[in-house]
Amino acid sequence: MPPGPFPGRLFVVEGIDGSGKSTQLDLLHKWLTSRGVLVVSSEWNSSPIVRGTTRRGKRRRLFSPMTFSLIHCADLANRVYEQILPALQAGATVLADRYIYTAFARDAARGVNPVWLRHLYAFAPKPTMAFYFDVPLPEAIRRIEDGRARLKFYEAGMDLGLSSDLNRSFQAFQGMIQTEYERMLDEFGLISIDASDPPTEQQHRVRELVEPHVGGALKIQDGGLTDALRSSGLTGRYLDTLGARR
Amino acid sequence: MRNRQARVLRFYGEPPTGWHDREVLGRIVVFEGPDGAGRSTHIRLIKEWLEDMGLPAVDTGLTRSDLAGRGIDRAKTGHRLDPVTLNLFYATDFCDRLERVILPSARAGMVVLADRYFYSLIARACVRGMPREWMDGLYSFAPIPDKVIFLDVDVEQLLPRTLHGGSLDYWESGQDFLKGNDPHSTYIAYQTDMIRELRELAGIHDFDVVDARGPISQTFESIRGRVQDVIADIA
Repeated sequence: MPPGPFPGRLFVVEGIDGSGKSTQLDLLHKWLTSRGVLVVSSEWNSSPIVRGTTRRGKRRRLFSPMTFSLIHCADLANRVYEQILPALQAGATVLADRYIYTAFARDAARGVNPVWLRHLYAFAPKPTMAFYFDVPLPEAIRRIEDGRARLKFYEAGMDLGLSSDLNRSFQAFQGMIQTEYERMLDEFGLISIDASDPPTEQQHRVRELVEPHVGGALKIQDGGLTDALRSSGLTGRYLDTLGARR
Repeated sequence: MRNRQARVLRFYGEPPTGWHDREVLGRIVVFEGPDGAGRSTHIRLIKEWLEDMGLPAVDTGLTRSDLAGRGIDRAKTGHRLDPVTLNLFYATDFCDRLERVILPSARAGMVVLADRYFYSLIARACVRGMPREWMDGLYSFAPIPDKVIFLDVDVEQLLPRTLHGGSLDYWESGQDFLKGNDPHSTYIAYQTDMIRELRELAGIHDFDVVDARGPISQTFESIRGRVQDVIADIA
C-alpha cells in the first residue's frame, strides 16, 4: 500500500493551532522558490471532491469521531493521488501544511483507536522530514485569541462535551492534541522546533535542515521567459493576468 | 413481546469510538448479492412481513447516509476518482449509517435490513486492485451481522434484469477501469468478477446462500425461512 520510492521530497509542518507552523511553511516556500526549486503545496481539507461533504458535516454537526476521521482521510487520499504523489514522482518538492500526524493527534484526542488510524493512512507517502512546532499551550491560546474570529464547533472540540464554553473547550482540546503530538515525536521521528523562539531563528533552523535535501530537486523551468524579458527590457507586468483569465 | 433476548453485539475488530459492548435487542440482517439479484425487492417483502407480525424493521443501503450520500453521487459524476478516496467516501457513508441508523435501531429492538454491507464494497475494491488487507482493516469497526443472506445468481440472469431497469450503469459495468468501449462486454466481465469475489466472501464470512435464479415467490420463501430463524426469539 505505501507508494514506492520517488525522486521528489515531501516536507511537512505540524503543531497545534497558534504554533506558527503555517507562517514558517510560507517562509520556506518563498525561500525554496527563490532558489529555483519547483514547489507544490498542499493544504489540509482542500480536496475539491471531498470538501463539500466535510463542510456539510460541520455546518449540520453530523460528525462522530469516526466519520470526522474518515472524511479527513478521504480528503488526504484524494490530494495524495491527484496532487502530492504525481508531484513527488516528477521530482518536485511538496510542502504540506498538516499531514497524517494531524489526524493521528486530533482523532486520538477524540478517542479513535490509534492502530486503526495508522492502518487507514497507510497509503500516505512518508515525508522526507516532518517538523513539529512546539509551543507552550498558553502562548498558542494567546496567539489564537489575538488574531482570530470566533472559534468553530469542531475546531474547539465542542463535540467532546469538555465544556459548554467555547474557549474553555478549545483550550482543553488543544491540550489533549498536544499530548498526542508529544507521544508521536519518537514514533515518527518528528523534528521538534521550539516555536517560542523568534520566527527568524526558527526559519533558519528549518532551512538548515531542509537544504541538504533539495540539492538535486526539480527546478522551475520558465522556458526562457526570464531571458526574453531581460533581453527586451520588459518587466512582464501583464503576465500575472494570464492566470486570472483562465 | 415475550421472552425478549438481548445480546452483546460482536465486532470484527474494535467497535466504533463510543460503543462499549452495549447490548442490543434487535437483529441485523444483511442482503448481499450482485446488482440485479433482487435484493431490494426481497427487502421490501421481508419488511412488510416483519411489520405485519408487529416487529419493527428499518432498511438501509449504500450511499443513503445523510452525511456522505450526496457527496458520493457527486464525486462519481466527476472526471476522475482514485479508488482509495472512493473507498474512504464509502466508509464514511457506511460509518454514518452504522452509528446513526443501524446501531441505534438494533439497540431499540428493531430488525435492521441492510441492502448490502461492507462485503460488497470489499468485492468492488478488490476487483479494482485494492489490497484486501487494507479494506478489511478499514471496516474492522463493523458489527458482525446476525445473518447475511446471499442472493446467488449467474451473470446470465443479471443482464435482463439490469436492462429492464434502463441502461447499463457506468460503474456497475466497470467502465471506470476496464478497457474497451463496449458496455455489454465490460458489464459481463465486471459482473463475472464481482460474483466470483462475492462467492469467495460468502465462504469467508459464512453467508447463508440462497439460490435466487428461480421465481421471486420461491426465493422469497427460502429467505423468509432464514429470517424466521434469526428473529425466532424476539418475535
